[in-house]
Amino acid sequence: MRRIVIPSKIKDLWIKIHSFIQKVLGYIKIGFQYFFRYTGLSWLNKKFKLLPNKIKKTIYAILFISPWLIGLFYISLPILFKSVRMALSDKYYYITDVGWQITGNWYDFTQFKRILMDEPFHFQQIIATAQDIAIVVPLVVIFALILGLMLNQKIKGRGIFRTIFFIPVILLSGNMLANFSRNDLLTVPAIANGTITSFITDYFPDLFNEVLLAAFGKIVLILWLSGVQILIFLAGLQKMDPSIYEAAKIDGASMWELFWKITLPALIPLIYLNIIYTTIVYANLSNNAIVQIINVHSDESQTLGGTLTDEVNYGRAYSAALSWILFTIELVVIGFYSLVIRLSSKRYE
Amino acid sequence: MMKNNKAKIRRILFGRSGNDGLVFKVVLYTLLIGISFIFLYPLLSMFTKSLMTLEDLINTSISWIPRTVTLQNYKTAFEWLHFGQTLLDSLKVSIYPTIATVLSSALIGFGFGRFQFPGKKLLMGIMISMFLIPSVLTYIPTTVLYKDLKILGIELNLMDSIKAFWVPALFGNGIRQTIFILIFYQFFRIIPDELFEAAEVDGASTLRTFLTIAIPMVAPAFLICGLYSFVWYWNETSLARLYFGSNYTTLPMSLDSFISMYSSMYSQGNVTLDSVSSTYNIGVQYAMTLISILPLLIVYLFAQKWFVEGVDRSGIAGN
Repeated sequence: MRRIVIPSKIKDLWIKIHSFIQKVLGYIKIGFQYFFRYTGLSWLNKKFKLLPNKIKKTIYAILFISPWLIGLFYISLPILFKSVRMALSDKYYYITDVGWQITGNWYDFTQFKRILMDEPFHFQQIIATAQDIAIVVPLVVIFALILGLMLNQKIKGRGIFRTIFFIPVILLSGNMLANFSRNDLLTVPAIANGTITSFITDYFPDLFNEVLLAAFGKIVLILWLSGVQILIFLAGLQKMDPSIYEAAKIDGASMWELFWKITLPALIPLIYLNIIYTTIVYANLSNNAIVQIINVHSDESQTLGGTLTDEVNYGRAYSAALSWILFTIELVVIGFYSLVIRLSSKRYE
Repeated sequence: MMKNNKAKIRRILFGRSGNDGLVFKVVLYTLLIGISFIFLYPLLSMFTKSLMTLEDLINTSISWIPRTVTLQNYKTAFEWLHFGQTLLDSLKVSIYPTIATVLSSALIGFGFGRFQFPGKKLLMGIMISMFLIPSVLTYIPTTVLYKDLKILGIELNLMDSIKAFWVPALFGNGIRQTIFILIFYQFFRIIPDELFEAAEVDGASTLRTFLTIAIPMVAPAFLICGLYSFVWYWNETSLARLYFGSNYTTLPMSLDSFISMYSSMYSQGNVTLDSVSSTYNIGVQYAMTLISILPLLIVYLFAQKWFVEGVDRSGIAGN
């Protein structure tokens, strides 16, 4: 008997709570109705319903994307303008109660001149970084392509390999890579101690050697950077129509020909995409020399106060100019390799 | 007979069409396993080193298998990190902005994906080109801007608090948020129009169709974006240090300060058994590194499918 009594009590209680909630909701509804009526919102609503469908849709769309629009006008665009102005100033500092102060004329390009002429050490770092990016980016894309092709074969345990190849995507950060390079974890000992490298130097032409050695010296870095790119290539490969391959095979095409004449041309848009993606990701990792200079010198007092003392040595303006130089390097690298791909893929058109 | 056998062996070894023969398979698997090893090499190496005693670490003849397995390094690392507090900070610093990112990305993605309006292409073009601007470029001006940022007349006081992460995320300026907006855009775009039209005929408002039809249909997008956003905020140390100063110490930030302390102690000279510190040594450093990535690895193992799906479904490869 007790068993039945308790649930019914709970049921009663639930009904009470439910009716109470209903009542409260009802009051809130009435409240909102009055609110809408007296603030004129219900009038607006009526007018809104009379608008043509197209304008209604536009208003809805703008309401939905309004967070981004606000962010654009209050955050992203001001940041961009500030960055330009900062790079084109002499000193950029904060005085309490007065605000941000800018000295120097923008058309003097003080900081850029300084980087290019008066700072040989930093200039050297810039060149080294540019070379490094220019070597690593194509290697990453090529490795990603090869690994994508391998994973696209009919193999058992593809899921496991894919899991392993994708681990770096979640772990990759500039600090992690800096950590690896400090502890010599960027290359596997069997490669580092010369068994493979001596083989390469013996059997390949000199021009190849340097690139190949660079690749093997940074093999972990290159593989770790290529996670997303592998998946992009793999997704592209799996979307391809198998009937094209079958037709080509019947015509007697070898695997080699299939790759160069069917697979590669279809992947060219993805190669562009991966070049852009790799360049942006790699250039912005905090293990590269320019980013490190920026991190150290943009806020030397480590207080974020924006004081004038930060600006004595290098400071914000100098760092901003450096970051624009890094951006230029990125654009040059992307432009150069896109041009290479474009010229070499011309015969497919 | 002999000829027939030869042909058979040949077919087994090299296959019919070049990529199904035994030789090809063996080479492929060897390469894949080798490459997998290179992928995992840093982690494996760190793992075995983190289990070594000080004597084993200094002994250069030992590279993989420790003579005696010890957990002392992990103990020291946990204590140095103040693990409980740091983990809590890490979770806060990554979960709050993730929620903000996902919510605002869903709204913005819906706005772009569902409606046709004049200037849409232009706005999306602006969004994508803003994404191409490197993050380094924005570091310094961001701190300058956030110092006294006002949005619609509201003083935000972003610096030195988690707000510096989640408020911009609410306005579409989270870490790599454009990717998430595009993922939602793709998801919303492929929902058939008829569904929405039917609901509208029944008298549902746009907000209601968004909440009751659109959102349940893109649950995977929420998962994908949430996971990536969580991971990226977790790994972000440069921005975290710029914004929070010492108010929050995340696991990766803690690891960084340990490493800089360690490298300043041993910047020159060899480490011998007499001079090595029981706290600041490579074993503890590796143990700490593994501890700091362990939460990410756990998330990855359980949600691996969704990370992979993220790349597949973002629509960047193909359409």
